[in-house]
Amino acid sequence: MDEKIAALREALYALDDAAAVSIATELIDGGADPQRVLQQGLAEAMLEIGRRWNAGDVFLPEVVAAAEIFKRCNDIVEPALIAAGGRTLGHKVVMATVKGDLHDLGKSMVGAMMKTAGFEVHDLGKDVPTERIIEAVRERHPRIVALSSLLTTTVPEQRNVITALQEADLRRDVKVLVGGAPVTEEWAREIGADGFAPNAPEAVKVALELVGDERMGGA
Amino acid sequence: MTSSQAKTTNDPASPRVRSLTLANRIDILPEHAIERIHEGTLRVLDRVGVEVRSDRTVTNLERAGARADHDAGRVRFPPEVVEAALAQAPSALLLAARDPACDLELDGSHGYLAVDGNAAEILDLETNERRASTKADLAQVARVADALPQIGFLWQPVAARDEPIEVQPLHEIATEFANTSKHVQLMTATEPEQARGAIEIARIVAGGERELRERPVLSAFQCSLSPLTYDGGPLEAAAIYGQAGVPCGFVAMPIACATAPATPAAALVVSNAEVLAGIVSLQLLAPGAGTFYGASGTVMDLRTGAAACGGPEDLLFQMASAQLARRYGVPSSIGTFATGAKAADWQAGVENGLSGMASWLGGADMLCGAGLLFGARVHSIAELVLDAELFDLMCHLAGEVPVTDEDLALEVIEAVGPGGHFLAQPHTLRNMRRMWRPRVFDRETWEAWETAGRPEPRDLARERARKILAEHEPIPLADGIEDDIREVIAAYASD
Repeated sequence: MDEKIAALREALYALDDAAAVSIATELIDGGADPQRVLQQGLAEAMLEIGRRWNAGDVFLPEVVAAAEIFKRCNDIVEPALIAAGGRTLGHKVVMATVKGDLHDLGKSMVGAMMKTAGFEVHDLGKDVPTERIIEAVRERHPRIVALSSLLTTTVPEQRNVITALQEADLRRDVKVLVGGAPVTEEWAREIGADGFAPNAPEAVKVALELVGDERMGGA
Repeated sequence: MTSSQAKTTNDPASPRVRSLTLANRIDILPEHAIERIHEGTLRVLDRVGVEVRSDRTVTNLERAGARADHDAGRVRFPPEVVEAALAQAPSALLLAARDPACDLELDGSHGYLAVDGNAAEILDLETNERRASTKADLAQVARVADALPQIGFLWQPVAARDEPIEVQPLHEIATEFANTSKHVQLMTATEPEQARGAIEIARIVAGGERELRERPVLSAFQCSLSPLTYDGGPLEAAAIYGQAGVPCGFVAMPIACATAPATPAAALVVSNAEVLAGIVSLQLLAPGAGTFYGASGTVMDLRTGAAACGGPEDLLFQMASAQLARRYGVPSSIGTFATGAKAADWQAGVENGLSGMASWLGGADMLCGAGLLFGARVHSIAELVLDAELFDLMCHLAGEVPVTDEDLALEVIEAVGPGGHFLAQPHTLRNMRRMWRPRVFDRETWEAWETAGRPEPRDLARERARKILAEHEPIPLADGIEDDIREVIAAYASD
């Protein structure tokens, strides 16, 4: 089984979508421990890709491509994991592009990079209503809520999400990380967010700080 | 993302020398203007001629067909002599290198960048202060130039001022051969004895007399003294190079308003007459010898009287001179990166950015001046790294834009459709490494820039230079060669 898990990691490094999905399926169908497939296969591969990105050997599009393969494989592993009684990956993150904003590229980059640092990322997509974000926080108990908006017209929505978290009495349970082109450190302070990052790699560093992880992005 | 794909830096598959594709060159002067300048030049060469401060050379040129005035030390060239001599100059030139992977073929299709200028001072890499340059500095710059793929060849970027003046050029080429396996061009061997010494050294490096003729690892050039003068040694030295199979060009460096007339057309006539006088003399004394057309013209600063360097007139001279070289069917060597700025700053960036574009669009075969500041009087290794980056950007721009099915990627556009993204598309992953990426230009976030102490590109360039100096080992000369070269220099020093 170790060889198969190694092959799964290699398929992620090679960005070989078909091979990764087929190896993950074989492993799960063959009764492999889903926790090991997730940790030693998928999560470890993302960490290694993060190390390669740090070394300048891998570029962001490759990280995003690997994260997409990760997601497809995770969809195969997850049912077995739940059947086996739960899962532990890394710190959970719920992320979304706020209501009215259709830009989810930057957020996808942040999600991909976070996976390389071992975060368990739940991406709610784009144009996400505040209620859905609150619902996901209740359900998933994340450590971090990451909010993205690219437009000056949608950036006030970040404040609305924070207000809604307060009203739902969830604000103290999560750290709020904000990002997007118009977002600045001052804006983050003004709306009472816990962190701000100007790009995807920085977002990982800030997220690790927020959860008190000392790796500081040195994945 | 296999390990072979992952290595994006120092890729062994990347060429040791990058070149500028000259497919898009333009003629800055219309046909009739070039012909007016050509006719004017013929008239100047015929009626005024050039002063040659060596009666031996005047006599040799007279025997070969020029008209001589021995009392005035003046040589005049009738138009038919000029045209016949120019027809003998080869149109393409091989600048061979110790490492054949660094051979440069000057055939009009590609432009190459040089470090050069023989600056008397260097901006110390550590103290950032300017001081007199030494042989050790020359070795350092040569090593950096050897490592930078944007540098095609080297003529002395700085002078070895700690060596005795009469053998300084020999120390300089010896230092360059030891610290680079790229082509070496020699500027300062202007006396016949120095030319003979340089040829002896080049023969040792090339492996013999015939080997040097077939693969000239050395070229040289001589400068005119504007207006219309050649010192005693240069034309004789040129003939010695020509007879040994070492290409020898001629470079005019006129300063409009001072050593050339004020108007661009007249300055071009004077500059053209000087270069053609050199090329014609070489062809008369060594028929068929490899040569090139060099120009580094500028204007006088009207307030201080110094050479201005970096203005729009220079850009015109660059493009017009390259066009004249094409008119005569010989490769061109064009002074390009010659900012007047005293630091690798905004002025240096703008002036060199524009002059780089001018030389590219003008179709220069050799682009000179990487690393020079203050009108070519001071060399800076940080500026060299920045100029290399600039040249790299230009090489990318000058490259072909393919329109194959893979390049048009219509299926990919269709598959992603409106609102999606191309980030993780296999097409993106396949092709993204073809995009240009800066080495020292800043693309960091504002925060990272502040955290790093707001570094300027020149700070990053200095860091890169230090890294190269710490890591790069040039291909060494074969055993015994340096000893043989030392003997040659010793022999010439005692003569």
